[in-house]
Amino acid sequence: MNLYSIAFNNMWRRKSRILFNVTVLLVSTAITVTLFLVVDSMRLTLGDQIDEFGSNLVIVPQAEGMEISYGGTEVANTAIDLDQLSEADLEKISTIPDYRSINIVSPKIVAAVNVNDVGIIMVGVEPRREFMMKPWFTLSEQEGIEPGLNPGDLALLDLPEKGLIVGSDAARVLNLKAGDLVDVNGSTFQVAGILNRLGSVEDGLLIGKLSTVQGLLNRPGEISMIEISAYCNECPVEELAAQLTEALPNGRVTALRQAALLREETIDRFSLFSFLLTGVILVVAMLLVLTSMMGSIHERTREIGIFRAIGFRGSHVMQIILLEAGVAGLLGGIAGYLSGHLIARNFGSYLSGESIELAWQTDLFLPVLIFSTTVALLAAIYPAYRASKLDPVEALRFI
Amino acid sequence: MADLLIKLEQVKKIYKTGEAEVEVLRNLSLTVPPGEAVAVMGPSGSGKSTLLSIIGGLNLPNEGKVIIDGIDLYCLNRERRADFRREYLGFVFQHFQLIPYLTAVQNTMLPLTTTRYPARKKREMAMQALERVGMERKCNRLPNQLSGGEQERVAIARAIVNAPPLMLADEPTGNLDTTTAQDIMKLFSSLNKSGLTILMVTHNPENTKYMKRTIAMQDGVIVSDTDSLAVVAGNEIEFRESAGELR
Repeated sequence: MNLYSIAFNNMWRRKSRILFNVTVLLVSTAITVTLFLVVDSMRLTLGDQIDEFGSNLVIVPQAEGMEISYGGTEVANTAIDLDQLSEADLEKISTIPDYRSINIVSPKIVAAVNVNDVGIIMVGVEPRREFMMKPWFTLSEQEGIEPGLNPGDLALLDLPEKGLIVGSDAARVLNLKAGDLVDVNGSTFQVAGILNRLGSVEDGLLIGKLSTVQGLLNRPGEISMIEISAYCNECPVEELAAQLTEALPNGRVTALRQAALLREETIDRFSLFSFLLTGVILVVAMLLVLTSMMGSIHERTREIGIFRAIGFRGSHVMQIILLEAGVAGLLGGIAGYLSGHLIARNFGSYLSGESIELAWQTDLFLPVLIFSTTVALLAAIYPAYRASKLDPVEALRFI
Repeated sequence: MADLLIKLEQVKKIYKTGEAEVEVLRNLSLTVPPGEAVAVMGPSGSGKSTLLSIIGGLNLPNEGKVIIDGIDLYCLNRERRADFRREYLGFVFQHFQLIPYLTAVQNTMLPLTTTRYPARKKREMAMQALERVGMERKCNRLPNQLSGGEQERVAIARAIVNAPPLMLADEPTGNLDTTTAQDIMKLFSSLNKSGLTILMVTHNPENTKYMKRTIAMQDGVIVSDTDSLAVVAGNEIEFRESAGELR
């Protein structure tokens, strides 16, 4: 016989009351777990989305005149540009204070060219940098590789001086296959590979080496735009944009993170709402458990009086009450952890408004148990204190 | 053990009800040596139960000293008084007051709950106490599976399980039929013979014949302190008169 057996015997006797407390804690914990999982998943999804953007900073010349659009960015036409970017500007990028946040710098030249009397946009790039920055670029065909075999990784492709990567739409329109020779502005190139369909502007492009295209266009050293990929989760993109603007006064720097920021802001608002909702739910849960425990103390006045009369200290009475609350907290925590995951997995997409995948987060189990038990114990402190201070004479008079 | 197990010196207890004050015990002094069996009688409101609760360390007197086995009870703080009750006192309450969700043996073990005895030892002690009151065969029954007399026996077993020097009983036969009440009083007498000091509040003069000494109280003072045999042997009427008609 010890305090545990008294607490457990009492809980067994008053099953409906313990069930009520467990249910309250279950609901509050489950909601907390669900919201946590959904917000966490939304943040992960956002991180993936930002990573998929590839570049998050674009630098184009400060220019006026007719413009060519590439990848949603207006790229100035060389004929009436006022102030061009050049390869010398690339070195200036390395002088900015937060240069270490920059992952990849991909310069490119963009211009309209003529292929078999068809006007088409040609982009000159540093292949390694460009294709590392855009890992979703994959080849459907590659020169030297038999049809049916898997083409190699674009980021590892050693593009020849006169080699071309052709977008899927351009290849269809120009009727090109890997290995074909093609005349561009009077110069002959060989198709090194055909891109898989991307569903974007790149489907209609010809991609060549930067130096080759500069030579073809007779614009040595010129650059139409610079795409920069920075470590998004750490870098202050707006700060980087400001630093680049200062380093490259002839360039117009655009941070492409606005959409992500907008999305992040939405998630932050959802997080704040979840946090407040969880807070309100916890306060309500604590009040319900507190009220229930106070009712239990009232019911047990006689019993507590007997305990005190036969030599239980106030702290012993307190331990019994807190033990009961702790057990309710543990049970509520276990059930809340399981329910929270089930709710999040089944209704998470509905709550977040986007398709999210949720795995069982086992490392969350212990924190949830501690959380639920703490809530129960906090709610039980006052009733336990009241019980411990119960005057035995008053309690026995209750008899 | 001290020469006097219970020593009350000029104990005064006043209850306040709003503006009104009721003096329940008036400078009451009392001594009880070890091994004594004392019945306390008196009409309702005479201060019997207050006296019992003050001796039991449950009710702080306004004035005076309460010394149990040489310990000035109200010099101890609240928690130490709880320890004192656990070690020195056994309580038998009116209406048995067993915990309904605990079996007879678990109820008996209650005073041992917070002691450091191993579980097996606690159970052994509880079973011995139940044997002394003849309840060992029904040790696993819940209170609602026991008769009134049996519940009273379990309550007595609980009071003696930790072998206290003093047992305080409040109307222990108040809810029992005559035959069962006699059995319980015989049990009290037997426990007293084995060395247990008993202080019992009762309304029933019949119970006094099992006690060595009978005290009559009225209006917070002791009006009579007599050898119980004298009460039973013919001075009952005189005793009753001095106690101001007990019923």
